[in-house]
Amino acid sequence: MSIYESSVKRPILVSLCFITVAILGIASFLKLPIDLYPDIDTNTIMVITTYGGASADDIEQNVTRPLENTLNSVEHLKHLTSKSRENISVIYIEFEYGYDIDVLTNNVRDKLDMVTSALPDECNTPFLFKFTTDMIPIMMMSVQATQSMPALYKILDESVANPLARVDGVGTVSIVGAPKREVHVYVDPQKIEGYGISLETISALIGAENRNISGGLFDLGTKTFNLRVEGEYNDPKEMENLVISAKNGAIVRLRDVARIDDSVEERTQSAYNNGKEGGMVIVQKQSGANSVQISDKVESMMPRLQKNLPSDVKLGVIVNTSDNIKNTIQSLYDTIRDALIFVSLVVIIFLGKWRAAVIILLTIPLSLVGSFIYLFAVGSSLNIISMSALSIAIGMVVDDAIVVLENVMKHIERGAQPKQAAIHGTNEVALSVVASTLTLLAVFMPLTMVTGQMGVLFRELGWMVSIIMIVSIICALTLTPMLCAYLLQDKRDEKESKLFQIIFKPINKALDALDNGYEIVLSYAVTHKKIIVAGCLGFFIFSIFISKYLGSSFLPTLDNGRVKVVLELPNGTSKATSNSYGQKLVHDWMRKYPELRVANYSVGQASTDNTFASLQDNGNYLLSFNMSLYSINVRQDSVEKKVPGHKARDLETICNLIREDLKLYPEFKKTQVTLGGGMSMGGEAKIDFEIYGYDFAESDRLAQAFKDSLMNMTILSGKKSINACTEARISRSEYQPEYGVEFDREKLALHYLNVGTAATALRYRINGATASYFREDGDEYDIKVMYEPESRRSIEDIENITIYNSLGQGVRVKEVGKVVESQDPPTIDRKDRERINTISAIVNSADGADMGTVAAKAQEVIDKMDIPQGFEVKISGNYEDQQDAFKSLGALALLILVLVFVVMAGEFESLTYPFINMLTLLFAFSGVIIALLITGNTLNVMSAIGAIMLIGIVVKNGIVLVDYINLNRERGMDILEAVVHGGKSRLRPVVMTTLTTILGMIPMATGTGEGAEMWRPMGVAVIGGLTVSAILTLVFVPVMYSVFAFTGVKVQKRKQAKRQSAASKDVKITSENAHQIENY
Amino acid sequence: MKSILITFDQAHYEDIVATLDRLECNGFTYLEHVMGQGSNGGEPHFGSHAWPSMNSAIITIVEDVMVDEVLGELKKIDLYRPQLGLRAFVWNIEKGI
Repeated sequence: MSIYESSVKRPILVSLCFITVAILGIASFLKLPIDLYPDIDTNTIMVITTYGGASADDIEQNVTRPLENTLNSVEHLKHLTSKSRENISVIYIEFEYGYDIDVLTNNVRDKLDMVTSALPDECNTPFLFKFTTDMIPIMMMSVQATQSMPALYKILDESVANPLARVDGVGTVSIVGAPKREVHVYVDPQKIEGYGISLETISALIGAENRNISGGLFDLGTKTFNLRVEGEYNDPKEMENLVISAKNGAIVRLRDVARIDDSVEERTQSAYNNGKEGGMVIVQKQSGANSVQISDKVESMMPRLQKNLPSDVKLGVIVNTSDNIKNTIQSLYDTIRDALIFVSLVVIIFLGKWRAAVIILLTIPLSLVGSFIYLFAVGSSLNIISMSALSIAIGMVVDDAIVVLENVMKHIERGAQPKQAAIHGTNEVALSVVASTLTLLAVFMPLTMVTGQMGVLFRELGWMVSIIMIVSIICALTLTPMLCAYLLQDKRDEKESKLFQIIFKPINKALDALDNGYEIVLSYAVTHKKIIVAGCLGFFIFSIFISKYLGSSFLPTLDNGRVKVVLELPNGTSKATSNSYGQKLVHDWMRKYPELRVANYSVGQASTDNTFASLQDNGNYLLSFNMSLYSINVRQDSVEKKVPGHKARDLETICNLIREDLKLYPEFKKTQVTLGGGMSMGGEAKIDFEIYGYDFAESDRLAQAFKDSLMNMTILSGKKSINACTEARISRSEYQPEYGVEFDREKLALHYLNVGTAATALRYRINGATASYFREDGDEYDIKVMYEPESRRSIEDIENITIYNSLGQGVRVKEVGKVVESQDPPTIDRKDRERINTISAIVNSADGADMGTVAAKAQEVIDKMDIPQGFEVKISGNYEDQQDAFKSLGALALLILVLVFVVMAGEFESLTYPFINMLTLLFAFSGVIIALLITGNTLNVMSAIGAIMLIGIVVKNGIVLVDYINLNRERGMDILEAVVHGGKSRLRPVVMTTLTTILGMIPMATGTGEGAEMWRPMGVAVIGGLTVSAILTLVFVPVMYSVFAFTGVKVQKRKQAKRQSAASKDVKITSENAHQIENY
Repeated sequence: MKSILITFDQAHYEDIVATLDRLECNGFTYLEHVMGQGSNGGEPHFGSHAWPSMNSAIITIVEDVMVDEVLGELKKIDLYRPQLGLRAFVWNIEKGI
């Protein structure tokens, strides 16, 4: 018994099976976490080696190079980049995607073991660090405070950071901009010199005084007691009375030579929210935890945290990454809902029977929930990829069920009982339904095998759609016949209601008119084959011609409302100066761009225990802005409230305007505006130009020249000439000015000193010596002894610093050395074992520039440039990613073409018909180009994947047509009749399945919600390709069919004629022979 | 005793078996897949790509008096769903065991 027969006969079993699938699917769905992308395995390992005291050059030669030479032989290595700067070497090992990072880590460790002995002796053992996206903060909170500002760190640490860190899944919580309490002992250098006391002595004394020591146990009668000396200060002011010297009966107390300053750290990073000083709390997640769940937990805790804070401390949210994820997933939900509505409407209109429509529409949710089970089983999430897979599949899952139902209805119309009709109707089409699903699987299964970065995106898409298609075909072969058998009515019992007639009469009339119109067109076409073929090919050639106007890029730019700006002032700029720039910029931007929701910036040197800050550069001369725009969903409304009548701009435009603003400040040595906050995929198109070469000066010269030509480069967009790039940044810094103290070793030796002692003494006086810790309420604060600020403000102050030797003799710095201005060499970047200087250019895509054109133009510049020997310029960045992606997508497309051809050839048992069907792909290609051009999209990875999907979707129409025309010929019709009749009777199913797919994609192609930029090009490509190819297929395929069929018939006739003439010749010869014999 | 050969579109199967049962023609032989085409138009039943539908056949041996009644009932079924196709032919049975 076949599967459909058993299903019809066992309705309870079938229903229960599908109900079970539905329940499991819904249960999985409820448990699925939400995320932006499928899990992306990390593919980068960092090797960090410290070598105290070595300069960047030394580090490069003695640490980085030997390490690189060994690590270069690790398997699956893609790129090896390194940074060598003073004291430290950091090597980034980037692997090809798709390999187990743990195995790779072990390989790296083995290699390191081999090379460690060859490193300099003072060098620390290299350690490994896996770089993951988990390090990106998931939430940034702003803290505003007034009176509590001095104690803000303690308040935040106790009432915010600690409770948050206890939340399951939260990794680290860092506090920025809230300085820690610190007790300073500001020493007056002249006074201590007068008393002959060194700073080290004071520091040691404080350390010795501020102690609690246990005196041991002692017995008192029959009891044993503990003896303790409690010497710790209860108040920093107590230190003032500390006796530091008692010479000749004169007592010198600390207050005589120093003042106690109980305040906060001197050098701190300050944070400003919308221009007001405050703090920032940064939450990072644990590796593998789900961002949205943690953000939700953190957000739900905020009111409780707020309650425990002093009334002037206010918590707010600067950035919550989960908002973006939630909004993106929400807009995908909307897309899926709209697709469902469109597809349902098409099904109802075309079938005209509610029972039939219900049968078809039931397959949609069942197929979709099936895929949730898969997602749950593999531990994936509801993300952009899995959700767009659902959206893509909605229009396709109904196709199989429609074909089955249509044939069953045909049987019922002929008079069969629904039950019998269901069995026999399904039996007749089962094979062709399986074949058409196979063509789709031939497209989507290979997607699961894509490797590299694209694999991350498309593997899940491939699995999802494949599974949905498999469930849908199981539905079509079991559930649909079963429901047909029990839901569809016998022809005689059917009654048409009045409402039905009112609604469907005109629809039916229109559909009939469509059928007839198509018949007329088709009759004309098959009798004017040359015109049609020439027209279609002309159209294709035209589309190839206009394809040169189609730009190319890597991935669409996403508007997640985040901008990160990093500004670099000349090294040495004070925090106050930098801050004044920050204030001015924030003030200007908040006024100019009403789209800005919050602008936060931080400036200053971060303390070393700030995990978040330690991952990025910070300093007094660096301003780093984190800004959030209103989410695209509410941006227009919010802007309208602030500035009535103002039209909200998109993120890309605002980023470019900010770049323009920054050009007015020549003070900034480097400016970097990162769209999207550099969080993940979907930033602006960035092309990196890598200059390989050893000589610093030469490569700096090349880089500067190249940067200038990039910034001056213009390209044509339409008829306008526009700038090609909005930003170009050279990675290598210039030599940084600094002051150094050059000690004269001989003089030092004469004073019984050495460089180490002298340098440490300098450090204690300027940076401070941590003498002890002041303890209060269970917390420890540093007690730092140093020169008072007024005495360390000029070069003379430094020259006048007194250093004491072991004999207690003081000597001034200027007597043993001199303070000189010097140059600090920049970090040395290397890639693939060669020095490199990178120029990162942001493509001006807002004005219509595209990456492909800019890269080509830049290549021309490179070719013309006078590049010295030993130097090489390579293009990489997103451009390299794009080239890699297109290469793998091209190979994929080829594989899919072959597979689809094999499936079709197998089904038709012919090579001609699959060939005819494959020709329709040309028009799909034309459609994609035209649709992308009209909508102003570029050829990027998303539109390319849309085009690849088309291979399977487009040929389905051809299969249906050719199959039915073949059937007609087998039934004895002549070629023309078979073609016209076949075309006419298959028009509705073709139009219907095409419309369901196109309309299912329309919400994707027209989406405006958050994240919609990502899938819009895919939707546009599929709709364009499918529309054009469907229209042309309906004419072109029948015409080509008749061309080939007539040729086939002619060839056969000729062969037959040959055979006949050969046969008659034989007969002639034999008769002649006979004649001869007779004559003989 | 007469033998009736009923060839019919598979969709008729349940109706025919029910009818035979009602007329108490308990014995019959059922051939599930039978191909063929009629003499007076109608779609061929070949189970092929072009003509996918299939016939079945039932041979039932009945008493002479039953023949007309059976044929009458079968005719009714045929007329009820004329597009499917149903034919019945009668032979004499000479002997049996």
